[in-house]
Amino acid sequence: MATAVKKSEMTAEEIWTVQPGERRSVGVIHIVILALLIGIGFVVGAFGSISFPLGFGVNFFWTGIAVQQVGAIWFGGWGVLAGAIFPFFSNAIAGTPFYVSLAYVPANAVQAFLPAWAFRKFKADPRLKSGRDYLILFIAMVVSSAFGALWSPLVVLRGFGLLTTESVPLFIWGWFGGNVIAGIVFNFILLKALSAVVIRTPAFVKRWWS
Amino acid sequence: MNKTLLGYVPKESPIYEVHPFVKLFFLLVVSLFPLFVAAPEWNFGLLVFLLLLMFLCRIDMRTLRIYVPVAISMGSIILLSYTVLGGRHAEFQVVANVFGFPIYWERLRDALVVYFRILPMIATMVFFLSTSRERDVIVAMRSIKMPFVVTYVFAMALRSAGMVLEDFHIVRQAEQARGFDTTGKSLAYKIRKYVMYMIPLFALSLRRAEEFTNALVARGYSFTGKAAKIKRADYVLTHYSYKIHDYILILLITAAFGVLLYLSLGLGFFELDKSQFIQWLHQILS
Repeated sequence: MATAVKKSEMTAEEIWTVQPGERRSVGVIHIVILALLIGIGFVVGAFGSISFPLGFGVNFFWTGIAVQQVGAIWFGGWGVLAGAIFPFFSNAIAGTPFYVSLAYVPANAVQAFLPAWAFRKFKADPRLKSGRDYLILFIAMVVSSAFGALWSPLVVLRGFGLLTTESVPLFIWGWFGGNVIAGIVFNFILLKALSAVVIRTPAFVKRWWS
Repeated sequence: MNKTLLGYVPKESPIYEVHPFVKLFFLLVVSLFPLFVAAPEWNFGLLVFLLLLMFLCRIDMRTLRIYVPVAISMGSIILLSYTVLGGRHAEFQVVANVFGFPIYWERLRDALVVYFRILPMIATMVFFLSTSRERDVIVAMRSIKMPFVVTYVFAMALRSAGMVLEDFHIVRQAEQARGFDTTGKSLAYKIRKYVMYMIPLFALSLRRAEEFTNALVARGYSFTGKAAKIKRADYVLTHYSYKIHDYILILLITAAFGVLLYLSLGLGFFELDKSQFIQWLHQILS
């Protein structure tokens, strides 16, 4: 009971800092979390890809962003890996060609990595206790989605010769808006609702891999 | 019937005579074909060939219905982005005017080229997903000596996707039983309320993660340290061996790709100015 009380009072600094005597190592649970995140992302991402398609795997409202960014904040490198891999499957089911999906991997990896990095770097509280935490999440979401929105139409779709120069803005805004709006709808609520539980589990990742 | 990643295929389907790696190889190589072909009739030919393969493999063609809206919406977006959003170009030939927007022949042609490139790429993916079971993908990965942990994560991910889908239905039914009903509500409302599924889904997955981990640890699985270095007997792979027809198919796919590269890059055989279909369409529209 005493431990529970102490843990509930954890500060944002303590959440991300390995305490003296605390042993953290990569375990089977992290591998399992990676697989489960890919699984959730597969289903949730495919929902967005099938329901709100703009074309070539770009969506007006991509629900997978929640798994990508919240998963990476909680589970560090495992969440980033899952965030980079699962869109490949969810896009495939939704009818995106194999090599186009493959070329989206860097965009998806950055979208997952940036919020995770920002929370660790600036010691933001994943339970979103202050306005600063909200602001860090929001900025990380916007910047990471902006990178994805620029990479995918400009590098991938133009590279494959699928878009004209004039139609690129539609896809940039489609990707950006689809991710940021879905992020605003889901990320804040998910972090607020579940972070308090997740940070107490052995699966939670303080550094990058453990 | 065998349950594949996208549907069901009869056990007697000829596709199960083929080693899973050949199917993966087919996906990896044939997906590249349309990228080297500009003439729409050749890409259409590839699409017909793939549909024929699906039919021969006794795939339930009704599963393809979910891709009809995808194909239509993708076609519409391509057409819009190349015509209405394609900008104004004095150097192009105008073939029509729609609500003040000039429709150029060059843009229309490019839209067709892109659309007919995308369709066979999608069909190749659908063919792979329709004929491959979870086990096939694992066997294909292990037969190219992918590390055990990679294939294991992949297998777990595919299995957990099925579980998440099941959990999703359970959560939805539980919420419906408590009077939550989105029927007739606006799309914005449905999107907002979708989070009511996401939170339980995440919570259930976290609980499952612990159950999975305990089960794996109890069975002596470890992905790091000394225990991870022990060579494991691969039971699944013992059920699959390459037969002569597998080698022939790999050779045929490789040769087809080689010929395609030569015809495309060497002779320019698939270029637009050699396309009969494009010439015919140009005559009609001009």
